Amino acid sequence: MASVNIKNVTKAFGPVVVLDQFDAMFENGEFITLLGPSGCGKTTMLRIIAGFEKPTKGTVLFDDKVVSDDKVFLPPEKRDIGMVFQSYAVWPHMTVFDNVAYPLTIKKVPKAEIKKKVDHVLAAVHLTQYADRIPSQLSGGQQQRVALARALVASPALLLLDEPLSNLDAKLRESMRFEIKEIQKEYGITVMYVTHDQTEAMAMSDRIVVINRGVIQQIGTPKQIYMEPANPFVADFVGKIEFLEGEVKEGKIVLDGCGQKLPYDGPLTGKVLVGIRPEQLQFAKAGDGELTGVIKSHFYLGNENDCRIDLGAGKEVRIIADPYESMDVKAGQQVSLKVRHYHAYPLNEDSLNFRKILT
Amino acid sequence: MQVQDKKTRNPAELRCKIGLLIFLLLGAALVVAGMWGMDQYSSSGFDQEAGYSYINQLTPELEKLYNEGIKPELEGLDAGQRSAIKQRVGELLITAWTEAAKEDRSALVETYLSDTDDVEKTQMKLLSVSYSMAGPKVSSKEKKALAAMDDAERAAFRDAVLLGILDDTVELPALAADAVEGEEDLKRDGILMQLFLTSVNKESEPLPTEMVNGLKKAVRTADPRFAAYSMAEKGSVSWIEQLLLSNTTTTVLIGVVLMFDVLLLFFLLKADGSWQMDFKWIVILAIIDFMVIFQVMPLVYLVFKAFFPDGKFTFEVFTRLYTYPMNLGALTNTLIAAGATMVLGTLLAFPLAWLVGRTNLYGKKFFRSLFVLTYMVPPYLGAMAWLRLLNPNVGTINVFLRTLFGLGDAPGPLNIYSLGGLIWVLTTFYYPYAFITISRAMEKMDPSLEEASRISGASPITTVFKITLPMTTPSLIAGALLVFISAASCYGIPSIIGAPGKVHTVTTRIIEYNGLGAQGLSDATGLAVFLMVIAIVILLFSDLVIAKKQYITVSGKSMRPNIVDLGRWRIPVTLMVSAFAVLVILIPFATILTTSFKTDVGKSVFDKTNFTIENWTEIFSRTETIQCLKNSLVFGIFTATIGIVIACTMSYLLQRTRIRGRKIPDFLIALGSGTPSVVIALGLIMTMKGNFGINIYNTAYIMVIAYLIKYLMMGMRTVVSAMSQIHVSLEECSQISGASWAKTMFKITGPLIFPSIAAGWFLIFIPSFYELSMTTLLYSNSTKTIGFQLYEYWTFTNQPQACAMAFGILMIVVALNFLLNKLTKGEFSI
Repeated sequence: MASVNIKNVTKAFGPVVVLDQFDAMFENGEFITLLGPSGCGKTTMLRIIAGFEKPTKGTVLFDDKVVSDDKVFLPPEKRDIGMVFQSYAVWPHMTVFDNVAYPLTIKKVPKAEIKKKVDHVLAAVHLTQYADRIPSQLSGGQQQRVALARALVASPALLLLDEPLSNLDAKLRESMRFEIKEIQKEYGITVMYVTHDQTEAMAMSDRIVVINRGVIQQIGTPKQIYMEPANPFVADFVGKIEFLEGEVKEGKIVLDGCGQKLPYDGPLTGKVLVGIRPEQLQFAKAGDGELTGVIKSHFYLGNENDCRIDLGAGKEVRIIADPYESMDVKAGQQVSLKVRHYHAYPLNEDSLNFRKILT
Repeated sequence: MQVQDKKTRNPAELRCKIGLLIFLLLGAALVVAGMWGMDQYSSSGFDQEAGYSYINQLTPELEKLYNEGIKPELEGLDAGQRSAIKQRVGELLITAWTEAAKEDRSALVETYLSDTDDVEKTQMKLLSVSYSMAGPKVSSKEKKALAAMDDAERAAFRDAVLLGILDDTVELPALAADAVEGEEDLKRDGILMQLFLTSVNKESEPLPTEMVNGLKKAVRTADPRFAAYSMAEKGSVSWIEQLLLSNTTTTVLIGVVLMFDVLLLFFLLKADGSWQMDFKWIVILAIIDFMVIFQVMPLVYLVFKAFFPDGKFTFEVFTRLYTYPMNLGALTNTLIAAGATMVLGTLLAFPLAWLVGRTNLYGKKFFRSLFVLTYMVPPYLGAMAWLRLLNPNVGTINVFLRTLFGLGDAPGPLNIYSLGGLIWVLTTFYYPYAFITISRAMEKMDPSLEEASRISGASPITTVFKITLPMTTPSLIAGALLVFISAASCYGIPSIIGAPGKVHTVTTRIIEYNGLGAQGLSDATGLAVFLMVIAIVILLFSDLVIAKKQYITVSGKSMRPNIVDLGRWRIPVTLMVSAFAVLVILIPFATILTTSFKTDVGKSVFDKTNFTIENWTEIFSRTETIQCLKNSLVFGIFTATIGIVIACTMSYLLQRTRIRGRKIPDFLIALGSGTPSVVIALGLIMTMKGNFGINIYNTAYIMVIAYLIKYLMMGMRTVVSAMSQIHVSLEECSQISGASWAKTMFKITGPLIFPSIAAGWFLIFIPSFYELSMTTLLYSNSTKTIGFQLYEYWTFTNQPQACAMAFGILMIVVALNFLLNKLTKGEFSI
């Protein structure tokens, strides 16, 4: 078991900096997810930990042992890591058993012990009856589990998973999520998981590292990330959100254009960017809510009612309402909205530009 | 049930069937008519197969006879005498033909003479060939007497005889006087003319007896024989003439092809089930017909001739061949050389491919281009260079080694004229085949497969042996087999190294045998069948090993992660790879260049007296060389252009339609490219001289067709793979936007695959441009190519000049490669 300590790691490919001063400490037994849009540097970070890339600057430690810095560089085969690749990387010229046994064969573990360990891990991933198959006879999900079994069989200190579920269909993805989590518990192993799927990250992680453009945006538990996003990028990337501009005036935020007001007791002053998630709004009786508006459009989806509300002057918010409470809403209807929670950020160039960063 | 039946019957089916039946009957009618015609001809005594063959052989002999034996004599006469002789020869010719046909044939003579600018030459040649076959008799006693003369006597005799034709009163030498005793006028002049012709050489053989007798036997009656004379005089038989004279075989051929097409079309329609005629089938059938006529038929005939040399089944050809030690030696040499080249080539190629594709070797891209470039260089060039380097007496490396180790002046220590030398040169020129195949497989292989091994605890070396090697094994085997078959069917290298070293291979034996008349040709077929069987077995096996076919195509991209950090080995390994490149690429090319500036090949180029640019000025000023270069360029351009049109058509059929039968031409094209060059050429020689209704022997057509068969696939694969990368939705989107099919091809597909079309064109052009093996068998005096000219100069005349030509060819190839790179904006280079 191992903790991973990443100190000030920078990685550049020529002039392109893909990771900028990455600094993080992951505890033993933690399930850590690196979350971010494609090209944000999360896979590069994982490959640096694996030893497939050399950082341009910085140090990586496993427990107290330096595995990579200016002088020391431990190649991947000496790092005692298990890894599941996005493409599974199951070797087509070997049977399932041989694939899984490979890390042990390399370590010259006695045959009988290999058999025991492989059988055990195959049972854990429910592949016992497929041991003698060759990978081309397996489905995507089964190949994925072969890859997982192979990564686990040598009881590594650290398990790296690089978007392991992205090639599976939605249903399988959900059940695999559960299985991976179960196995992590059983093996008590430190897991680093790379994904661009926020639901996956929320469901599985102890802590999430949100990365954008090679820079850590926020490290925190799923709840922290969702409820207290550190900046508009995190707020926007995890969950749905609508942004409005406004100004702090006398303990309230006055929204630009429509002039409606939200109660505010935070430290910000002057111009602010307000983010409201659709589920943070609720229909209220007339006069009861903080905001009023006119229903512009609504989409009844069965389990929810997705409405757009015009606050005036072209400013809009979105509300995902309980379908039973909003059965009769119609376009053009005047409504009152209760704001249960919202996020406020200082309005500056960075906070306005986060969308550009995203794409 | 009845109603149902009627309903499901497609009315188009009946229409189609009737149409097909009409065409089938038409084909059958043509065959019957042609057979009838052939029967007529054979009763009239024209064995076309033998006939055309001897006609073609006689042409150059006749030319030589006229130029060396007759023209100088005529030029020795004054104008008056010359025109009198011309007059007389005309009369003799008419008389000879009229007597032979037992009817007046003066009109026929007029016809043959009317379309020529040099009547004197034409009628002289016609008379020569007529008299060789059936002229006034020259007794063996007279021949003996003629043979006994020395050169001066013979010259005097010929002068006197020629003058004797002009003037009855001239005193004749005793021999001639005896011969014309009692004869007068035309009869007398005929005898004198025959004596004049017979005395042209010591052997009293104006034309080789074997050919004369052969043609006599093949053409037994008068008029076809006159036609044969005329054909021999004109040079090879033009296809129009041949069609007119022997349209019988052509008719049969057209009939057979028509019936074949109808049957094929029937099966396609039946399999398709719709019974809707589709224009695409016409295109497919046209390509199939071309391949069947020029590729399948020659190969089948070749095999047939090997087992049925005289129409009866026998193993005689094979027993005769393979009990002859020299052939047996050639056979084992071929197998050993090809086998060793395969092993060495693969052993070189795999590590190089791995270093270039999977490590952080310095200059990976450069090395990759360099190794691939060798693939585009004519192999004989390497043989020439290594001959200069490893000649046991004066080879640069040998001299260097002797000086270095103080070995004295004895030849050696290395000798290129050996099996080992052959293997070495073959290896340096064919390892790129394996390199390209393996590199391609590695590029396609997901790098995470190797990363997964590393993270499982395996070292880079273990990963190579446990993952990379097993995963690339199919391509490795395919590449190895490709090296084997290429080395086994190579002619250029063994002909240059093997011939002086008496290291014969199957290909050099085939080409030697081919020059040895009818018996030789039949022996050549025996060896060719051996080579063909190896090639086909390998082709099938190779397909079996890699279920998904992989072919060599070119492409530029090679962005791969550096999976393996060579660490402190990075510099040493880079140096080793560089040393290898210097040894197999730089030194040979530099040798060719320096040799091209030498007067004496044995001395250093830096020796002041030895340096000359004459070789270069010579090759650029000699009209023959320039003509050969022009031929090569023209043949190459035609081959590449026709080839790329077929390639684009096939790509469209394969990638954009589901039409039935589209894979048949694809298969035939692959078969053609897998067939050894000499086998293709030999098959064409045996079937394209009129015996099967087509006579393109000794023409440019036969060369272009042979190149097409061999190199078409390279171009096709490139275009096909480019087209497979373009999603069909791009075309559909254009059509939805209102563009017609043609406009879509022109505006969308065309521009997108243009780089590949250009690359495909060059891939066909370059090997056609410098081709040697097939050219050696197919050339005629007017269709010599630069590759063949170079070979002739190397072997018979002047090695430095050959080197200058070789370096010129190399420069052209490099320049074309550069042009291709510019043209495709860096996407392709070879």
